[in-house]
Amino acid sequence: MAITGAIINVVEHDFQNFFRYKWWLVGLISMNLADLFIMAVVYNYMVGAAVTSVYKNYFTFFAPGLAVTGLFASAFMIGREINMEMRREVHHYMLSLPMTRAQLAIGRVLSGGLRGMLYMSPLLLTCFIFVGFPSILQFLAIIAILFLLALGISGLSIAIAVSTTSLEKFITARGLVYYTLFFCSSVFYPLSLIQDLGRDGKFPAILVSFAEINPLSGASDMIRSFLIGYPAFNFNMVLNVLIFSVVFTLSAAFAYIKIIQRK
Amino acid sequence: MRAIWFVSQIALFGLIASRMINMSEVPDYFRYYVGGLSVMTLYSAAMFIGFDLYEEAEHGVFEYMLSLPVSRRQLVLGRSIGGGLRAFIYVGPLIGVSLYVIGAISPLNFLVSLLALFLFAFGVSGMSITLAVIIKSSDRFDVLMGVLDALIVRLSTAMYPIGIVQMANPFYGEIANFNPITYAADMFRWGTGIESMTLANPLLPLMGIIMFFGFFTLVGVVIYDKRIEGGGWQ
Repeated sequence: MAITGAIINVVEHDFQNFFRYKWWLVGLISMNLADLFIMAVVYNYMVGAAVTSVYKNYFTFFAPGLAVTGLFASAFMIGREINMEMRREVHHYMLSLPMTRAQLAIGRVLSGGLRGMLYMSPLLLTCFIFVGFPSILQFLAIIAILFLLALGISGLSIAIAVSTTSLEKFITARGLVYYTLFFCSSVFYPLSLIQDLGRDGKFPAILVSFAEINPLSGASDMIRSFLIGYPAFNFNMVLNVLIFSVVFTLSAAFAYIKIIQRK
Repeated sequence: MRAIWFVSQIALFGLIASRMINMSEVPDYFRYYVGGLSVMTLYSAAMFIGFDLYEEAEHGVFEYMLSLPVSRRQLVLGRSIGGGLRAFIYVGPLIGVSLYVIGAISPLNFLVSLLALFLFAFGVSGMSITLAVIIKSSDRFDVLMGVLDALIVRLSTAMYPIGIVQMANPFYGEIANFNPITYAADMFRWGTGIESMTLANPLLPLMGIIMFFGFFTLVGVVIYDKRIEGGGWQ
């Protein structure tokens, strides 16, 4: 009970911090909604058969991707806070708290993931309203996969945060991770387009493979398969997210414990 | 960070998204997008001057600036031009990358479009300074910049042609028609030969940019003059 209590305390602390950025969140959500209700609506009139023949229009295609984008951006925020704590040496205070290092690390990863889920909820609801509602089982599967993804993203951001010594390095590393994961995925365009470019020799094979195993592709395509029926659901979508989540949750917890003790 | 964003937008998003676009709507979306991207980057870089004002206010540099033997008018003009110029220097190499990707240019048209982009960058800096001194709260300014960036970029021709925007939603089209980013993107594409077929008369966007620059420089001076005194920076 005490173990869970300590973790809950860490989660509560991080949620209070999260709500301190309410204005930042307003800006972020307005950007997400502008992407959906302006950019995607205009793209409806520009996209070719690759999208319209399978998905009704670009808006329908993009709405699930947007929920995943929002989840990524908000779950990643925990890394910025931890990086700031390291620079301002607040982590000494965190280490002095009456809880084990493992509880502290698990609490941080968990809170990052939960915050991502909270932020993403209205975007996912918007997606359901405009694209269609899943069955109960599908809904539970979507939530479970997105939660695993959020944990993995939170872990990834913590791993980057504790491995970088300055804000500039953290922001640069975050930029690299952000844009590679976003643009080499099926969030903005169907995976088949990236594969076609690869086959034509216009896109490096390594990036095509990366897009295929990218957890953002897996999560977006799984939501699409449930709501739109395409691409067909396959177990690899779940597996990619699961592997990403396990690897980064564990490595983040390990890195957090080891690195903050050393500094 | 912005350079990473710019390069990944060209090499990843631009390349893949151009494959998704119907060729009959936009014949060469890749080149079209790269042209718009340069203007989006210039806009973001020029907007940054507002954040500098908050940092100066926080560190007390603002009071020092006010104590200098220059008039308020000279101060705001200098800051607008400085903000625009440094944005231009910063984005210059990225524009060079765009030119390499876009290809052939007409030197005269390009010089005219470059002049328009200079004025655009000064105007954006003036707008950023004006908003910063009106709001006087870094949190609110941060949010407003996020919202403004989301709306002003997406409701412009930076990412899609005006005809498509109007077709998608006439209201969006109306806003895009009176958007400085539209003017700058159209001018840059005209200068690089991308939009020479659709933009027969570059005078209209050029006038739009001059008016935008003039408005935010003049209004900026007046507002700066009125709001600068008395502290109250949060």
